[in-house]
Parts: sequence; structure tokens; C-alpha cells
Amino acid sequence: MSTEYIRPQGLDEALGLLQERQDVTILAGGTDLMVDRRSEKIRPRCLLDVSRLPELRRIRTRDGVLEIGAAVTISELLASGTIARMAPVLAGCARRFGSRQIRNVATIGGNVAHCAPCGDTIAPLLVHEAQAVVAAPGGTRTVDIGEMAGGPYQCILAPGELIRCFRLKPCPAGVDLADFQKIGRRRELAISRISMAAMVRLDDDGGVDFMRFAVGACTPTPHRFREVEDFLLGRRPDEGLLWQAGRLAADTMIAITGTRPSAAYKQPAVQGLFLRMMSPLLQPGRKSHA
Amino acid sequence: MKNHTVTIRFTLNGEPTTVEAAADVSVLHLLREHLGLKGTKEGCGMGECGACTIVVDGRAVNACLMFAPQLDGREVLTVEGLRAEDGLHPLQQAFVDHHGVQCGFCTPGALMSAYALLQENPRAGREEIVTAISGNLCRCTGYRNMVAAIEAARDRRTDK
Repeated sequence: MSTEYIRPQGLDEALGLLQERQDVTILAGGTDLMVDRRSEKIRPRCLLDVSRLPELRRIRTRDGVLEIGAAVTISELLASGTIARMAPVLAGCARRFGSRQIRNVATIGGNVAHCAPCGDTIAPLLVHEAQAVVAAPGGTRTVDIGEMAGGPYQCILAPGELIRCFRLKPCPAGVDLADFQKIGRRRELAISRISMAAMVRLDDDGGVDFMRFAVGACTPTPHRFREVEDFLLGRRPDEGLLWQAGRLAADTMIAITGTRPSAAYKQPAVQGLFLRMMSPLLQPGRKSHA
Repeated sequence: MKNHTVTIRFTLNGEPTTVEAAADVSVLHLLREHLGLKGTKEGCGMGECGACTIVVDGRAVNACLMFAPQLDGREVLTVEGLRAEDGLHPLQQAFVDHHGVQCGFCTPGALMSAYALLQENPRAGREEIVTAISGNLCRCTGYRNMVAAIEAARDRRTDK
């Protein structure tokens, strides 16, 4: 049985098709879908190409909320002044995402919906407390980014549902650090083994008065690590304290995954990456952005 | 059982092109097997090596990661379309002059990445060049001669 290809002209047509038929596979950039097709993990009956729907291609701000269309490519995130200003952590992630060839095609919606543990955009979206706006039969619903994956590669969206856009809380004014870091086997084109996203603000006395921190790739789904945030809130970071917080991040990861053979490597790697990311906080007055 | 094919219309190396293909074949397959353009190479087939890099609407992409119908309405450039009126494109000549080619398998992809970069930014610096071709794996040259070749092609363009 061969595959059909449909490229709807508008969002309503796309939603109509999604609700009419159950055999539709949503195609955005296709960079993950094609890998699954080639390995015969999937055999799509009908590809619904949503990548050119104008409704899914916008970046805009509305009522202080940053809205990113699901079919915006990673290169477009990187080129956007709005993203650089309001979501520097996401911009930092876009810079290190895949390769230029993949960034030019892959979309933020596809990256989220694919639910790979190593999906690089998810930890940055978590620190922006992002919600996905999902078109569903009979209307629209919102899904917290942290709820999108039921497990590795398991998107909780029902057939017939489509992510329209993401709503992000913009980076607060005056943050001292907004960064994304990852470790892979090489710099470009490497699947992330560990990724981290963080925004931190210090008060006038140098104490942490705002922090959001999320980790990806080394847990089955990316997570916000609130234990680490709570540990640092109200305290003045010095090297010793950041080492302790890094240790807590590693312990939190292991509490989620259990002790795996890779823990011997990942535990110190999480701790080390955390310290590397947070080290600009040890030099007060130096704002650090991804 | 229906056997669907899709009609795909696009501009290929400057020529309007119409082709019928199954919807779930890759652009790489379309180029090599349907259109007989064997310059674009298959390395890994999963977006990791860049040997299949082509330029679509001015941007470097992996042909192995795109479904053929995604080309519909687009402007596509493959290594076969890279030429100057009097022979080799300046980038190709620079790769020859600077010994940027050894086994040659990654060369078409590296050329297309370099081409897209210099279209986007004719004055791209070394760091941008390195970033632009870092999605193109080469196991022979160690990249230095490729970077030197791209710098030379850039300087030739900007001198004019």
C-alpha cells in the first residue's frame, strides 16, 4: 500500500482532515519522520504536510506572552530577534541543534511532538513554563510541556489533535544567567547525552531570587528539577554551594532513572555541566546569556 | 489497493521539472533514481553525514531527510547545477586548487553547504565557514583544505 500526501491550504482544512480520518501522519519538517520511515518503524498511510500553514509559522507576542508557531523551523528561531530577546535559552538551544541542514528544516513542533528524551527544545521550553496550544476535535486545549510525553517517544496527543503553537513566559527582566548547555559525543550533529536549560536572577545582595532549571536527554523525558531550584533560592552562590547543587542535580537524575551502567559517567557529568553553566554567577556583574 | 503517486513540480537547477513519485520516498531517492542525478551522495541516510546536502530555496538541507513531495513549489540546486559559464564554479575550482578533495564522496555535499553559506553571507568569516560545513563529515581531508578553499572562493567573489 503506497502513501498518500496531502498539503492542506489552511488550518481548517488540516483539522478537518485530521478529524475525518484516523490514518493520517502529521508531517512538519520530516527530519525525524523520515528516519523512522527508512528503518520501517513506521509506514505512514497518509502524510499530512502542515509545514507551510501560515497559522503555524508565526512568532509573535500577545498580552506579554511569546507565541511560537509549531511549524517554525530551528533556523527561524535562531534568526528571530524576538526569540533572542524574550527566550535567549531557546535561542541558545537553536544554535547548538543538529546541524545547519537539519536546523533549516526541523520544526519546534516536530521536536516536541516526537517526544525523544534528547529533544533539545524541551528543556528550554520547560524553563519558560511553556504550554502547547492544541487544536482538538471541538475546540482548543492547552497542554503543559512537561505533560506532552507519557514516556520516551510517546506523545500523549490523540490522533486528530495538532499542536498549533507554544505559549512561553518571556525571560524575566534582569536575569543574570539564561543559558542552554549540552554534552554530546561531538559538537555538531551529536545526539545530546545531557542537556540543561536555566534562567537565574540574583538580588542586590547576590542571593538567588529567581531560578528555573530543567534537564533533558539523561532522563526518559526532560524534567524541571525543582529540588535544585529550591536548594539555591535565597542563597548566595559560591563554588562550594554550586558543587552541592550540581550533586543534587545528579542525584535527582538518578532518582528518576535508577542506577544504570551509564550513571558512573553521567553523575559527574551532570555535576560538571551544572557547574560550568552556573559559573558566570561567581563573577557578579557579568550577565550571561546563551 | 490504490497505488498512489504524487505529482511534484519544482525548479531543478534552473529548469522547471515535473515528476511523479511515491509520496514516501526521500528527495535523495527522487534525485538519484527518478531523475538520474547521481552527484548527490548517500552516506548514512539518516541526516548525520551531510553527503546528500542540496540547496532548497537558498538553504542547505539533507536530501535524505526530506520526503519527495516536500520539494513541490521549491527551487532546488544540486551539485549538477553548480557551474560557471566557463566551466567549474569558483567554489569547485577552489576545492581543486586547495586540494579540498581526497576520496571525493563528501565533496558534493560540502560544496552545497559552502554555496548556501556564501549566498547567505558573501563575507562569511572562518568561524561561520567551519559552522556551515560542520554538518558535512569528511574522513579524508581533516577539513583544513576545505576551509581554505571556501575562504579562497569567498575572496574571489568579494574582490570582484
